[in-house]
Amino acid sequence: MNFDWLSPELARLLLGGFWVTIFLTAVTTLLAFLIGVAVGGMRLSKRSILQLFATVYIEIFRNIPALVIIIFFAFAVPNLFPIEQRQAIFFDNALADGLKALTGLSLPYYAIAALAGITFNASAYIAELFRAGVKSLPQNTVDVAQTLGATEREVYRRILRPHGVKAAFPAMSTRFIHTMKNTALASFVTVPEFFMVTQTAITRSFQAIQLLLLATAVYLFLAFAFSALLQQIDRRLI
Amino acid sequence: MSEQVQFLLDNLPNLLFGFPGNRPGGLLITIFLTVVANSLGFVIALGLGFVSESNKRPLRWLARLYIEIFRGIPVLLLVLLTFQLIGNGRRWGLSLTPLFSAFVALTLYSSAYQAEIIKSGLRSVPVPLVESARLLGYPPLLTFRRLKIPYTVRLMLPALTGQTISLFKDTSVVLIIGVADLMTTARIILGSDVGNAPYWVGLYLMVGACYFAVAFTLSRIAYWIEAQTQSGDLIHAVGNY
Repeated sequence: MNFDWLSPELARLLLGGFWVTIFLTAVTTLLAFLIGVAVGGMRLSKRSILQLFATVYIEIFRNIPALVIIIFFAFAVPNLFPIEQRQAIFFDNALADGLKALTGLSLPYYAIAALAGITFNASAYIAELFRAGVKSLPQNTVDVAQTLGATEREVYRRILRPHGVKAAFPAMSTRFIHTMKNTALASFVTVPEFFMVTQTAITRSFQAIQLLLLATAVYLFLAFAFSALLQQIDRRLI
Repeated sequence: MSEQVQFLLDNLPNLLFGFPGNRPGGLLITIFLTVVANSLGFVIALGLGFVSESNKRPLRWLARLYIEIFRGIPVLLLVLLTFQLIGNGRRWGLSLTPLFSAFVALTLYSSAYQAEIIKSGLRSVPVPLVESARLLGYPPLLTFRRLKIPYTVRLMLPALTGQTISLFKDTSVVLIIGVADLMTTARIILGSDVGNAPYWVGLYLMVGACYFAVAFTLSRIAYWIEAQTQSGDLIHAVGNY
């Protein structure tokens, strides 16, 4: 193989995309974990209104492809507004300018839409896994705690939540790695993550197959590294 | 408002079956892709499951490598890479359309996931059962086909259904190579016409509803099968579809 086409400029582009992918993965994983555990907790709650909300949330975001959700937020939602206001609401305001300066993205709204779409999708899975984890806990620990006078809230906070997360963490790790791969979907809404910059590099250098094989290697590396990291977290922290 | 409803009603047949006078598309193609890729993937996965129990180390490693590669990369990347490698046009007496590439990529992808399910299912086969079959002179392939697979397939069914649902939703990424599935059809309906701007939200809600209807129905079936077979220890596999 011949790598003459890999100019410093292209290399910089690809490296930039690599960091955006890592950033997207980190943020979506963290948010999906927090939201997922919260929604999963609501699903277990005895209040029927919370339970209903959590069930609807989980079923909607689990049964619709992440891609549909991302495109819906990024391209469909701005169309709800008349064209003059659209610019001001989504793309041309102080918040967008601030994010532009902070992240260097040209259209921060699309990045937020992609982030939201991936997070909603992943958190629905995490919620369901967390619920399964809590359900797998032996009933007698709860009984003991209640006999000792712990309130329901304390039982949930001190016993069910931490141990439920612990029980479900291996399954959650699989989902987190899935989420990492799903960040490639952000390329559909022009977020310059690794898959997007790979496509940009293809249009500049015409080395489609070599660049896509490079992307394959990079994603495999990311999947292995991330799974090793999650194993460490499982062993040390939880 | 009535214009919205009219637009959606006019386009619902297109979303479901593709544009009249053209090749079939829409949800029909999405389901077709899922069924074919899932079935072919299952056959490959059976082979991988058999090989990964072989006593020849290189064979086991190859199966491992196959599974890790196709599970480790985004399906979007796999679809584009397959399309670039296979190309477009006529070759080897076949007409190589993007649809063909989509079939190949999704089959590879789903076979790796199903192989992982089959491998974990095979671990539940009691060793004495296998040993007695081998003692009675069953060759490995026959043991695999007649004993291990019938023994585990019921246990694996919920997880495999879950994987089918996952694949059904993942077919949406074929938008990138322009296969006329549900996602691409929606994109074509809206086109680049600015006049269609008010319809975007409604149309994508309808696309979401189409995916939801199929996936939700399948997931109820998966839970029903699970309740029938009582394979509770595979619950994570179902929850993880």
